[in-house]
Amino acid sequence: MSGIRFNFPAPELDQSIYDLRSEVRTFLREEICNDRFTPVTDCWCAGVDLDFSRKLGQKGWLGVTWPKQYGGRELSALHRYVITEELLAVGAPVHAHWIADRQSGPLILSSGTEDMKRNILPRIAAGECFFALGLSEPEAGSDLASVKTRARKVDGGWEITGTKLWSSGAQHCQYMTVLARTSDPLEGKRHEGLTQFLVPLDSQGVAISGIRDMSGLMHFNESHFDSVFVPDDSVLGKVGEGWKQITSELALERSGPERFLSTFIVVEHALVRAASDLDARQAAIVGGIIARVRALRAMSLGVAALLESGKSPDVEAALVKDLGTRFEQDVVERLRAFRPILWKSGNGDVLDDLMTDSLLRQPSFTLRGGTNEVLKGIVARGIGLR
Amino acid sequence: MNETDLLILDAAERLLSDICTTEAAVRYEQGQVPEDLANAILDSGLPLAWVPEEFGGVGGSLALGFELIRKAASFALPLPLAETLVANLLLAVSGLTVPGRWTALGYDGGELPVAVRGEVNGTIEMASGAHEASVIVVPVLEKGHLRVASFAPSTIDMEHRRNLAGEVRTRIILRSAIPSQLSGRIENLTEDGLRQFCALLRAVQIVGALDRVGELTLDYVAERKQFGRALGKFQAVQNRVADIVGETALAGAAVQQAVRTVSNAERPLRGDRSTAIAIASAKFVAGEAAQKVPENAHQAHGAMGFSYEYPLQHFTRRVWSWREEFGSEFYWSEYIGELIQDEVQSGHGDSVLGKAWDLATR
Ligand SMILES: Cc1cc2nc3c(=O)[nH]c(=O)nc-3n(C[C@H](O)[C@H](O)[C@H](O)COP(=O)(O)OP(=O)(O)OC[C@H]3O[C@@H](n4cnc5c(N)ncnc54)[C@H](O)[C@@H]3O)c2cc1C
Repeated sequence: MSGIRFNFPAPELDQSIYDLRSEVRTFLREEICNDRFTPVTDCWCAGVDLDFSRKLGQKGWLGVTWPKQYGGRELSALHRYVITEELLAVGAPVHAHWIADRQSGPLILSSGTEDMKRNILPRIAAGECFFALGLSEPEAGSDLASVKTRARKVDGGWEITGTKLWSSGAQHCQYMTVLARTSDPLEGKRHEGLTQFLVPLDSQGVAISGIRDMSGLMHFNESHFDSVFVPDDSVLGKVGEGWKQITSELALERSGPERFLSTFIVVEHALVRAASDLDARQAAIVGGIIARVRALRAMSLGVAALLESGKSPDVEAALVKDLGTRFEQDVVERLRAFRPILWKSGNGDVLDDLMTDSLLRQPSFTLRGGTNEVLKGIVARGIGLR
Repeated sequence: MNETDLLILDAAERLLSDICTTEAAVRYEQGQVPEDLANAILDSGLPLAWVPEEFGGVGGSLALGFELIRKAASFALPLPLAETLVANLLLAVSGLTVPGRWTALGYDGGELPVAVRGEVNGTIEMASGAHEASVIVVPVLEKGHLRVASFAPSTIDMEHRRNLAGEVRTRIILRSAIPSQLSGRIENLTEDGLRQFCALLRAVQIVGALDRVGELTLDYVAERKQFGRALGKFQAVQNRVADIVGETALAGAAVQQAVRTVSNAERPLRGDRSTAIAIASAKFVAGEAAQKVPENAHQAHGAMGFSYEYPLQHFTRRVWSWREEFGSEFYWSEYIGELIQDEVQSGHGDSVLGKAWDLATR
């Protein structure tokens, strides 16, 4: 009999975790009470506020797991988890620094040069330096290994040419990590010969233009690289091993709280409007949402605990993202029992705007960061069907 | 769980895989108690897992008992191990004698019978385990306080029926019935607490059965070939299996979390808010999985899964029964919603904004 039972252990909580949570909550409550930010749905992809990012940096809440010498605080992954989930739960505008804090910083830490670590990490931790991901291309989406962007070896460095598509937030970013071909794909070995580069976006030959999404936001971008020169030490890790890097970052990226909390702020505001007078159907809807979010969180924290203990819970992480992203879409649909979604946003009603924006943003949840079909493929492979 | 707990689990696993086949479930459904299996389990002492050592039990943790229950459900054990565990726990916490036999849980989450001057009146619609039991354990109310009564089966009015999984459920009508034992008032046991505990029991059973549904499906699609390939090579089939695995994992995570919460609670049977929300969530998510997982599993199995002969249906019918017992998804989701409303109205906590998150993380 094949075993497919998963274990989601409890994370180790100590007093410092509780303290940190209440510190973050208090700060956020004050910000909200003083109208210092407007809550946004899908805030980690749609809420940009450079001042707010800087403020988090000053609080010491970015790059918290990194070594102190690079601007970090050497706290645990769970500390970071608590900070991020509290921010997501209130719809705080965290998009500008999100990728840098979650992904690019750790990538530099594991694969960057000492120079990058010293120069860039402290700026990310200060909330002043932002990153975009240069993976997808016009011809390469789910089939990422088919990227066409080329990096050609030249004297003292590399010359990058190609087009990256959909890169979130690139217009605010100083850097992009760019996945490029550094050697032709060999028969049956198409995952080799790919390399990630750190590219400053003010380099000669880079042109970025915004793409409006269906919710009306200038969220993602098309980025052209026309013989962009980067020096040798811009290579992240080893030449030709970009694929391994990308896939090894994924468990963390897939299982975080942003994969099920993107629309949670709407639940809060629906309750603000109706909680003192819920009918039975509404009570059941909110109750079901809370129940499911608790289950997803137990799963997601379980993955965090497994990662912390050195395991590689790839299948579990893919499951969190598949279930979580479908859930955050479902939330919007279920909340229609509280209020119809009728109006274009901007009418000044917080709940109406949040509902409309959530509905218009939800198609992206099951696409970005690897579609749910791709995730199911990972699960199928993990349990031996592929 | 400690070292001893793990040893006990290991032994239970071996016992079940040796002698608990789905044939036993078939025979049971036809009215034959599988005696060998029943004796082996009684001899193993597993039904006493939650009885403290000073009362002749194993003194195992709550986590151990729930894990045994999950295991048993994954074998479709056709005996009331789960119910006997709870009934014995009730006897033990109320200081009554725990027999070394099967005991029935004379409780279904509904209204409790009432005891007045040593006589008990009331109806239990769906007692479980009463067919095999030598003692029927019935929580009763006396002047608003919980007590535990035990009855010899021959002294009370019982009507056995079967739930849709073929498990015996019994209507018990108590008319001025005189219990063979009646405990004093029990501190730290409330009706809410008991209902929640039993709901968690069913949620754990659902997850145990779904563990097996996933395994059966995975094995089946790996073996069965159509169009010259194993079914599991088709992406559409893979997606169904991935959904089975995902929904089961989610329910498993919720149940694991609820078991942890109950295990860490100072008074696990009191029905405090923190245990209530964890259990309500677990039963809700397990109940949802009890629909989604069999749907996918049956589709992937084709007609084979629809046959009585093939084991899948035993698990399907069990989860479809258990999701209804001790509160369905409809009951528990509304319960959570009402909890929120109640806290908002009574000004518990300082603001409505953040209430949902507070409950999600509590
Ligand atoms: C909001 C948003 C932000 C994004 N941000 C970034 C970013 O910052 N950087 C970046 O590089 N990219 C980004 N992306 C792109 C994202 O990674 C891609 O959209 C995703 O990988 C899918 O690629 P695609 O859109 O080309 O779809 P396609 O790969 O063309 O897929 C279309 C559909 O076909 C399905 N499909 C494809 N192949 C298979 C298969 N083998 N089996 C079954 N089904 C299949 C897919 O699941 C999908 O449903 C972003 C996307 C969105 C929506």
